[in-house]
Amino acid sequence: MADPSQPKVAIAPPDTWVERYGDYLFAYAMSRLRNREAASDCVQDTFLAGIKSLERFDGSRDIKFWLRGIMHNKIVDQIRKSIKENQVNIDNEDETLLESFWFKYSGIATTNPEPWQFNPRKAYDNTEFWDVFNTCIDQVKEPARQAFILRMLEDLKTEEVCKVMNITPNHLWVLLHRARQQLKVALEQKWTGKDVK
Amino acid sequence: MLTCKQVSHTLSEEDYEKLSPLRKRLLKLHVKLCIVCGKFNRQVMDNQDMCRHYKAHQETSLRDSPELDDRKKDELKAMLAAHSSDSKEE
Repeated sequence: MADPSQPKVAIAPPDTWVERYGDYLFAYAMSRLRNREAASDCVQDTFLAGIKSLERFDGSRDIKFWLRGIMHNKIVDQIRKSIKENQVNIDNEDETLLESFWFKYSGIATTNPEPWQFNPRKAYDNTEFWDVFNTCIDQVKEPARQAFILRMLEDLKTEEVCKVMNITPNHLWVLLHRARQQLKVALEQKWTGKDVK
Repeated sequence: MLTCKQVSHTLSEEDYEKLSPLRKRLLKLHVKLCIVCGKFNRQVMDNQDMCRHYKAHQETSLRDSPELDDRKKDELKAMLAAHSSDSKEE
């Protein structure tokens, strides 16, 4: 009978982590932080935290994903650090949107947003589409990009994002709206500009 | 029946796929029929779909690029080796 105290998957020795997981974790951190130095620091902090808490690894999944789970916190820390250096302010345009009738009445920005120029669902099986998506996230301006990464990709709750960014939930709503708009425009330009049916 | 504000609020707090079946059904029905918030909130849901699929794609097929610098790799290897030997000595 299997000993429940034994890990279910083999643990790769830490001195092999750089070769096995270094590039994966770095690519993941780059997809969130877009800054080589910050992403490298993130990988380093992740390995350090991983080696210190290795005894808590239960072996229920590949250690690569366990390390990536640790990296989630490091990414949030890096974004928090970057926000501390560049405080997030609400601009006049965003304030006008929050004061608008439609936002107050139904929590939306407009009743008639521009429709998609292509059906994104049809591209979900295409690896190339996700490469384009990855590039397009880059084009979303900060702080909307940071809000989008934290809320939509790193799955932080609204109140957690607001705490990290020191903003109100309504301001977060505006930032996410801006991010969605910019991402859509960038995707339409880059994807429909290609010869892909 | 949900109001537009409740739909918008729910979508700003949660991925609609994670809602209970009944709540998800009510929300989808509202978005489908509502002439006020339907088009806008449909796009919010589309964006949630896209992010969910992107994360699933990253889970299975994230390319190991861009890559870490060789110098940084050496630095990390040295750091891990030092920590490994420390823990063995303990």
